[in-house]
Amino acid sequence: MTRYGMAIDVRRCMGCNACTVACKVANDVPEGVFWTRVLTRGGDAPDAPAGENPAVSMSYYTLGCQHCENPACVKVCPVGATYRDEATGIVRQDYDKCIGCRMCMSACPYTGVRSFNWEEPGYAMDFALGDADIAPHQKHVVEKCTFCYQRIARGETPACMDLCPARARFWGDLDDPESEVSQAIKGREYQHLLPEQGTSPSVYYLV
Amino acid sequence: MTDNAAAVAAKPPAAKGGSRGLNVAIGACAVLAVLGIVLWVVQLSGGMIQTAMRNLDSWGLYITLFMFFVGLSAGGLIISSVPKAFGIRGFGGISKVAVMSSIAATVAAIAFVVVDLGQPVRMWELFAYSNLGSPLMWDIIVLMTYLILSCVYLWAQVRNERGKVSHTALRVISVVALVCAVLVHSVTAWIFGLQQSHEMWHTALLGPWFVSSALVCGTGLVLVIAIALSKAGYLSVERANLVKLAKLLGAFLMVDLYFFGCDLLTEAFPAAGGVAIVEMLTSGPLAPFFWGEIVLSVAAAVICFVPSLRTNPLMALAGVAAILAILCKRVQLLVGGFQVPNIEWPAIMTPSTITNWQGNLEQAYAGLVYWPTPLEFGVALGVIALAVGIFLLGIKMLPLKPAPGED
Repeated sequence: MTRYGMAIDVRRCMGCNACTVACKVANDVPEGVFWTRVLTRGGDAPDAPAGENPAVSMSYYTLGCQHCENPACVKVCPVGATYRDEATGIVRQDYDKCIGCRMCMSACPYTGVRSFNWEEPGYAMDFALGDADIAPHQKHVVEKCTFCYQRIARGETPACMDLCPARARFWGDLDDPESEVSQAIKGREYQHLLPEQGTSPSVYYLV
Repeated sequence: MTDNAAAVAAKPPAAKGGSRGLNVAIGACAVLAVLGIVLWVVQLSGGMIQTAMRNLDSWGLYITLFMFFVGLSAGGLIISSVPKAFGIRGFGGISKVAVMSSIAATVAAIAFVVVDLGQPVRMWELFAYSNLGSPLMWDIIVLMTYLILSCVYLWAQVRNERGKVSHTALRVISVVALVCAVLVHSVTAWIFGLQQSHEMWHTALLGPWFVSSALVCGTGLVLVIAIALSKAGYLSVERANLVKLAKLLGAFLMVDLYFFGCDLLTEAFPAAGGVAIVEMLTSGPLAPFFWGEIVLSVAAAVICFVPSLRTNPLMALAGVAAILAILCKRVQLLVGGFQVPNIEWPAIMTPSTITNWQGNLEQAYAGLVYWPTPLEFGVALGVIALAVGIFLLGIKMLPLKPAPGED
């Protein structure tokens, strides 16, 4: 079985937001919506460190859907619009099916990875960006990171992988010990976000 | 309400045609309900961006009132079915009116789920693609059953009085209705309580606690209705029965406060993450609702327990206070659930992130994370008017007056 996953090297990530932009463009993500965001772990504002100069500390965690093996969102969706694709381990969202009850947003422990289109999706450009085969965005449904399902179906990697200047992201099949992601995790100390929630995320943070 | 009630009293034959006051009240409810529907269409066409709900506080007034009305629906059915199910004396002829209030409250609860949906036209999918593992699906099934059962139960009582339905059949229906009533509150609790992602909600106590809160506001509602309809001359309830209801309300209030105490102690004692929740309630943004609930509950309980205070106006006041106390509880639960984020590391904020998105995350959580917009209040008022209208229509059209000799 394939279980796609990602490892993100927190020691390499410099919070440049290249992945944020790559994701937004590849998936033509509407205005005001971000499927992946850069979170600053440090002070109380983005890019602000904790502590007093010179004893300051700061690191970046890029956060998108964690594609959990035991996803809280899938269990609660009353119509099965959010589901785990068993062939890839990816947690998917069917916009045509979503009734907009937002139960998944409430159930997901990872604050803010799911977003609801609170109005008709708007775009900065007059023309569509990104891949031609993405599902069209809809008003009043929930959406989130798809691990660029359209791209991996073609054998490519998710868009956030491509532009990362620090090469902080690793991608592949977690069940394949030879994959890039498995190799990256091997021998490294890693962290799952909110492990106490018992969701078994497919995103590993190398620390 | 009292004006209308007085008008009803002026022209007693409310059962046939009703009085002018009642008709005016029904008309006003209809107007408000239509206005609510218009605002709902505005919400759907212009987008739910017009509500104050956002990604990090994705439920608001509608789901608060959904919880609240599920609770309100309890009283009527339980007050009415417990005496019949156990074969003990009832509360003096208020049984049918009480069930009517349950029906109206259940309709409101269902309507609040509907107005909260982004895609209400896809509601049919709930029945076509039901995910039976989802607590929300359980609730939809149980709520529907509950509504149908309440109607059947009311019908059976009326038929029973005419000798068409046997006492045994009525008793069986009342037992089933009672079980369903307990289920509907538990399942509503599980929508919240089974989410490990919200520390405030994730407790096994939530199920029983929802049942006790429902009993508080439900009994409060029945007490208020019984006193109001007696004053209006629609029915006459003996003082002893009102006192019995008030004592019951007092007991339910104590149980509810006891659960509250248990929950606060369990949250705070480890001096870990739960302390944030206790502080948010006792001295944080939700303090007005926390202390509001405590003060209203205690005031209502004092009226219920001190014999000299149990006058009709004060008992009605106790009922209202109990209902408002539980409304405060619902606000605490819903807004409180979103007030403490699991991941609070700062990131980019947009108008869809959180209600108060203009500052930083800390500022967004400094006060109440969510407060409804006028549109939400308008839609909510429409739904409430719909429920009140249904209840008043029931009073006007249905034979809800006590049968001779009914207890």
